[in-house]
Amino acid sequence: MGVLYLGSLLLGIGCMLLLDHRFRLFFWRDATAAAIVTAVGVLFLLAWDLAGIGLGIFLRGEGTIATGLLIAPELPIEEPVFLLFLVLCTMVLYTGARRMLERIPARQREREKENA
Amino acid sequence: MTYLVLALLFIAAAVIAGAAFTRAAFARPPFAGKDGAPGERGRHWKAVGLAFAALAVLTAVFDSVMIGLELFHYDPAHILGLRVGLAPIEDFAYPLAGVVALPGLWVWLTRRSRAPQPNLKGLVPQALLASRPVSWINTAYPFAAAMLLTTREIDWVVIVGTFYFLIPYNLAMYGINDVFDYESDLKNPRKGGIEGALLQPHLHRPMLWLAAITNVPFLVVLAFAGGPAAWVSLAVSAFAVVAYSAAGLRFKERPVLDSLTSSTHFVSPAVVGLALAGANVTPGLLILLAAFFLWGMAAHAFGAVQDIEPDRQAGIGSIATVIGARRTVRLAVVLWLVAGLAMLATPWPGPLAAIIAVPYIINCAPYWNVTDTTAARTNVAWRRFIWLNYGSGFLVTLIFILQWSLTS
Repeated sequence: MGVLYLGSLLLGIGCMLLLDHRFRLFFWRDATAAAIVTAVGVLFLLAWDLAGIGLGIFLRGEGTIATGLLIAPELPIEEPVFLLFLVLCTMVLYTGARRMLERIPARQREREKENA
Repeated sequence: MTYLVLALLFIAAAVIAGAAFTRAAFARPPFAGKDGAPGERGRHWKAVGLAFAALAVLTAVFDSVMIGLELFHYDPAHILGLRVGLAPIEDFAYPLAGVVALPGLWVWLTRRSRAPQPNLKGLVPQALLASRPVSWINTAYPFAAAMLLTTREIDWVVIVGTFYFLIPYNLAMYGINDVFDYESDLKNPRKGGIEGALLQPHLHRPMLWLAAITNVPFLVVLAFAGGPAAWVSLAVSAFAVVAYSAAGLRFKERPVLDSLTSSTHFVSPAVVGLALAGANVTPGLLILLAAFFLWGMAAHAFGAVQDIEPDRQAGIGSIATVIGARRTVRLAVVLWLVAGLAMLATPWPGPLAAIIAVPYIINCAPYWNVTDTTAARTNVAWRRFIWLNYGSGFLVTLIFILQWSLTS
């Protein structure tokens, strides 16, 4: 049971990468830029976590589906993995939404402009 | 502080970054062409909105599940208490901050793949090549030796500093040099005109950025590790790197100042090392540094002799073009001699280092009567230099080991 959460996160990350691969959205479009965005995103959110932990706002649970391994006080090993998933999910959603919006025929966009 | 305040702070940072990146990404003229910037930008923010809507739903569901499974919880005193399912409203700040900032960064980073692309291919290999890896050790060694002999232990400052003076420092020194020498290299027949000029103009700005990005963090970290003495020596060191070749300063074209600056390039890492290690300033140490400095000046002055002819044709000044080949060679030999003699005044085993001056003097003495027209021949001796330097480094190391064993 201890690895259920970590396993689910990794599975989620795998699914995001499959979507990315299938539609050439993020890493499969510009690997360098994607790597930078991912690193910046994870570090930013991790800093937020650490600030919350430092201020005594965030508390780790004793859930049985977590490994219980800590990389810092109150910071389980799953957290950076979760943040990685969140960043990938965010970017796949955003790049996917951009793709969909670009597919809207130009004519329709002009109509929108006229209406606006 | 409550979770809400914390979240607002991070969201504020994300909004500022996201807006700035988006602005920079779409403000580029190429976008205004085909599609028009407003259309792109509008679609960007629409996509951000759609992504956030999806993320909000996912957060409401999965955050509730995660809290329900007791993966984490919150100190009730710190949260508003408003919940969507089990998820406190503040938890929606994470996806909000992410979706506001990261797509902005993404469009900014990928703007070039749609705009006409400055080709950065070859920047890093060229920068590494230009930084003369064979000479990297000349700046890293003085630092490492100075620090190690003082602190007698390998801590993170030694490792970070040695790495800094091994690669980033040389990247900056030679990278800046190549950018600002481009003009004169073009005019210099010896460098083969356009083909001989190392760094193509479109790489100039990226090269300066590379120098800044690879140096500033190290300078900040090293400054952080030391006190005022380290700050001053780091500042002098960095200034010498820039001032040697940067437009406006061009110390390399100012006779005498050129040799002084060049020697600073090699002595300042040692001074930084001593400052970071908190070394005691003794007369022996000062004499050692002075001798090292004279050695560096001599090396620079002698190196300038071979370039007298092309430098004059290109209208570039150097210590050698001003005082002439013969006097420069003689000056170099005298400087080495004084450096060697100075070592005799240092505490044991320092005087052993005096012998290091001998091969340099022997290498250059044959050119005692060189003239400006035969100056180019000193290139032969100059090329022996690199190997002499390695030999000297070896001897210096042996002396350091002796010093170490005598004092421990």
